Amino acid sequence: MPVVDVDPDELRQLTGHTDTTDEEFKTDLFGLGLEFDGETDDGELQFEFAPDRLDRLSVEGVARSLRYHAGDDRGVYLPETNDPEWTIEVAESVPDERPYVTGAVVRGVDLDEAALESLIQLQEKLHATMGRGRAKGAIGIHDLAMVKGAPLREGAQRSITYRGIDPDGDTFVPLDANAELTPAAVLEDHATGRTYADLVSEYDRYPAIYDELGLFSFPPVINGKRTEVGTGSRELLVELTGTDQWTIDKMCTIICYALSARGATIETVEVAYADGATAPDTYGADLVRPAFDVDTKSVTHDRIETLLGVDLEPETVVDCFERSGLDATYTLEETVTYEVEIPPYRVDVLHPLDLVDDVGRAYGFDRLEPRYPDVGTVGGRHERTRLEDAVRTSLVGLGFEDLLNFHMTSGTENYERMRIEPGADAFGGGDPVEITEPYSEAYTQLRTWALPSLLSLLEGNTHNAYPQDVAEIGFVAERDETANTNVAERRHVAGAVARRDASYEAAKGRLQAVCDDFGATLETPRTEHPTFIDGRAASVVVDGADAGIIGEVHPAILVDHDLEVPVAAFEFRLDALR
Amino acid sequence: MRLPERQLAVLEAASATDERTIDEIAAETGLKPETVTGAAFDLRDEGLLAVTETTTAVAELTDEGRAYVADGLPETRLYDAAVDAGADDAAVPLGEVIGRAALSGPAVDIALANFPRKGFGEIDAGELAADAAADPAADPEATALATLADGEAVADESVLDRLASRGLVDLAERTTRAVRLTDAGVDALMEGVEAAETVGRLTPDLLASGDWRDVEFSDYNVEADAPAVGGGRKHVLRRTADRVKDVLVGMGFSEMQGPHADSDFWINDCLFMPQDHPARTHWDRFALDVPPMESIPPELIDRVETAHRDGWGEDGDGYHSPWSEAFAREVALRGHTTSLSMRYLSGHAGAELEPPQRYFSVEKVYRNDTLDPTHLLEFFQIEGWVMAEELSVRDLMGTFEEFYRQFGITDIRFKPHYNPYTEPSFELFGDHPETGEEIEIGNSGIFREEVTGPLGVECDVMAWGLALERLAMLTTGAEDIRDLHGTLADIDFLRTAEVSY
Repeated sequence: MPVVDVDPDELRQLTGHTDTTDEEFKTDLFGLGLEFDGETDDGELQFEFAPDRLDRLSVEGVARSLRYHAGDDRGVYLPETNDPEWTIEVAESVPDERPYVTGAVVRGVDLDEAALESLIQLQEKLHATMGRGRAKGAIGIHDLAMVKGAPLREGAQRSITYRGIDPDGDTFVPLDANAELTPAAVLEDHATGRTYADLVSEYDRYPAIYDELGLFSFPPVINGKRTEVGTGSRELLVELTGTDQWTIDKMCTIICYALSARGATIETVEVAYADGATAPDTYGADLVRPAFDVDTKSVTHDRIETLLGVDLEPETVVDCFERSGLDATYTLEETVTYEVEIPPYRVDVLHPLDLVDDVGRAYGFDRLEPRYPDVGTVGGRHERTRLEDAVRTSLVGLGFEDLLNFHMTSGTENYERMRIEPGADAFGGGDPVEITEPYSEAYTQLRTWALPSLLSLLEGNTHNAYPQDVAEIGFVAERDETANTNVAERRHVAGAVARRDASYEAAKGRLQAVCDDFGATLETPRTEHPTFIDGRAASVVVDGADAGIIGEVHPAILVDHDLEVPVAAFEFRLDALR
Repeated sequence: MRLPERQLAVLEAASATDERTIDEIAAETGLKPETVTGAAFDLRDEGLLAVTETTTAVAELTDEGRAYVADGLPETRLYDAAVDAGADDAAVPLGEVIGRAALSGPAVDIALANFPRKGFGEIDAGELAADAAADPAADPEATALATLADGEAVADESVLDRLASRGLVDLAERTTRAVRLTDAGVDALMEGVEAAETVGRLTPDLLASGDWRDVEFSDYNVEADAPAVGGGRKHVLRRTADRVKDVLVGMGFSEMQGPHADSDFWINDCLFMPQDHPARTHWDRFALDVPPMESIPPELIDRVETAHRDGWGEDGDGYHSPWSEAFAREVALRGHTTSLSMRYLSGHAGAELEPPQRYFSVEKVYRNDTLDPTHLLEFFQIEGWVMAEELSVRDLMGTFEEFYRQFGITDIRFKPHYNPYTEPSFELFGDHPETGEEIEIGNSGIFREEVTGPLGVECDVMAWGLALERLAMLTTGAEDIRDLHGTLADIDFLRTAEVSY
């Protein structure tokens, strides 16, 4: 979950609540869903929250939420915007994989160290969340004074271009470097370049932003040094590229709201997609951004009351909306319905239900009195788990220690160390369900039988006292294309007797007792199985159906598992006892 | 004749001529008095010994009695003061004598009641006259108290009764037993008695032959440690799961079951998890190398895709994320058991469900995490949901308060939260029953309409989830989850973990 670092002094200044203590902020923010998570080395408070209100990824956004919650601010706020001077031209050459761009010009910024730090934090956290690690959206912020934009077409005053270029085409000096590099060289030789190389390395043409003087930004990887932002920067150019126009527009809006909260003026830019470039279907080829438009949704008073479980006056609901930064109007008819206006920095309102949640938070969920619902239902266990439990009770009564092992294992454990082959015509030799691109050699597939898990456990417990009689009723799976999921899932009953006097007889006596408990007839016709000693292995036939295997475990397997006592074991399908 | 060793010792210590008390025999044989008493009665039953019981009254001074032994009886002190004041000559005002005698409180009434009774003098119209001839030093009550204080007996029962009624002595009865050899006892000793053998263990032979009556069982050191007894036990985590299931069944929940390997459609898409959600990336899930799942109802896929792309309902908005049917059909290990809830709610796990319903499962889920003391790649998730016509946040809070109260966790806090699949959503916090530390104990909410709508559910459904291991660690005190679960488990831990119920 995202974490936002907040300087409490900045928060006091931005909220105007100069007397509020750190502890009071923590309590207020918990109520809004931000949980105190610790302090940074610099004494900043860290708050963790779920990734819905991404406008709270900066101290400015957190302060805005607090001011609304306290009733200092009410309703929808839209910053004023000035008309565009700059145009972002989108060339036909822009890579198809990353076709979209948006941006803004921000003037009159006063970036002290704290404000600059907050801006960088917001940028990075937006990359990590909405931007999906810069894949879906990446933000570049530049010192506008260093961008030279001769008009590139008639009517435009000043322009930059978003285009696709040959990876080894032009060069620029990236941030944190002192040499001119091509984009391809950045991916090879620059630390940041290597981190984000996977995002673009498969592209035929690399994304690039040009001004009159040439290449100055290589999204989504790194900006150029020429336009680097510092505390002396007074005017900023914000550009965003990505795979979804809505997403980058929202990210841009959140950045603009944060800068506006510190007194900056937002100036729109034109985004002009060339013929042949991929313009966003929804918005067309010529856009003006940022577009601070409100969205509208309606929700009934009745739905709010039933969902929160309390009776409310319409005035109270409107107050709650306004203290959530929303505007609401309603008509007093038979049913009250609110028309709610939603500001553009909100990315989480997908449905009227989300507005009810806002009312709940503003009203205070902690004010709601819990009640046990007046709903009568009859409970019960599933037949499968009842059978499992009954068999487990039998095994425990016979002295078996009940085990719980992992369902994921490796081919080595499941087959090789048991002396069988995948797909072998032997119990346990089913086709493996393998994990695609496994992360660990120890977990590459689901187990096809449970006995390997029991032997692994015995291997890890040679330091403990014997006898060790262990059993498990557990999940096993094998590949089966006749199954709905292409995976056949079953439960097996497995038991192993590890002691000085362990013998076939000891295992069979216990197996017989389990079968007797369930009124099942057990037969054990002789068979051969590589896991067991020849002549001391039998099929487990329950009520006439072949269901498993029993025998004395082969000494080669015991030695391989560092065991110094004999082991006799059985395993069979649980459903054989039904 | 053979007798158990103890009985033989008592028999030999007894005399045919004199009665000997139990205490005397105990001192002589070195046996405990109660052992001697037991043996004596056994010997009496055999006709070898006669046992006589004498009961004597025993008087013991009370605290008040002891105080008067030291200070004198109040009436005596009153008489002595009166003589000092010349009351043996002429009557003296009562107040003066009491003051001179330094009597106060209840002692005054005691003195005034007993003074005339004992003939020490007369009290009339507030004046006291002492009889010069009286001799309090010879008062039998005072004498008896002094005798008792010296540890000797007082024979005069009327004096003892009066002292008892004055609360100065407690009277009790004591039984003393004494034994004497009978003629048969003497004969037996003359003929010779051997000590019977002691036996270590009761055998079927002893029981069958009746010889158990004649043997003595050797003493054990009953305080010594016994050799360890091992037995099978249900796995500690299973027991915690059983407890959870009991509670939920008691609250009216029915158990769900379903596949561990399932399509991403049931695991995530039905839950309105956008396909580019971080939890759906390769690094967080275990994709399986099997062909995609074919049998998903096409109309259900269409509705779910619509919810993702365009939103649900008139005012709904979709995600601005890519959505592909191919991804939805991929098979993976479930990252939560909410896939079961989706199957049940859709009616594809059995019958179409009509409200009200309550369902739960306590089943395994798989997440790619870093193994550490609190995280495993496989763990059990408790999942539960309630379906009803109209459910509110208050119903959700009331249900979960009741559930956690069963585990000793009270004072639940609900932190507003965000999940892609519920709105409103709450993280549940409670206090650790032992340490009091605030801990996160679950995640809950009311399913979004983007979830329930495509499944065809037209009422409210509230749900919550929690890791069973988290609850087990709270209730068993286990500090490393790896001790509990998996092939690295320590069998000794499983054998010794405290039983929870």
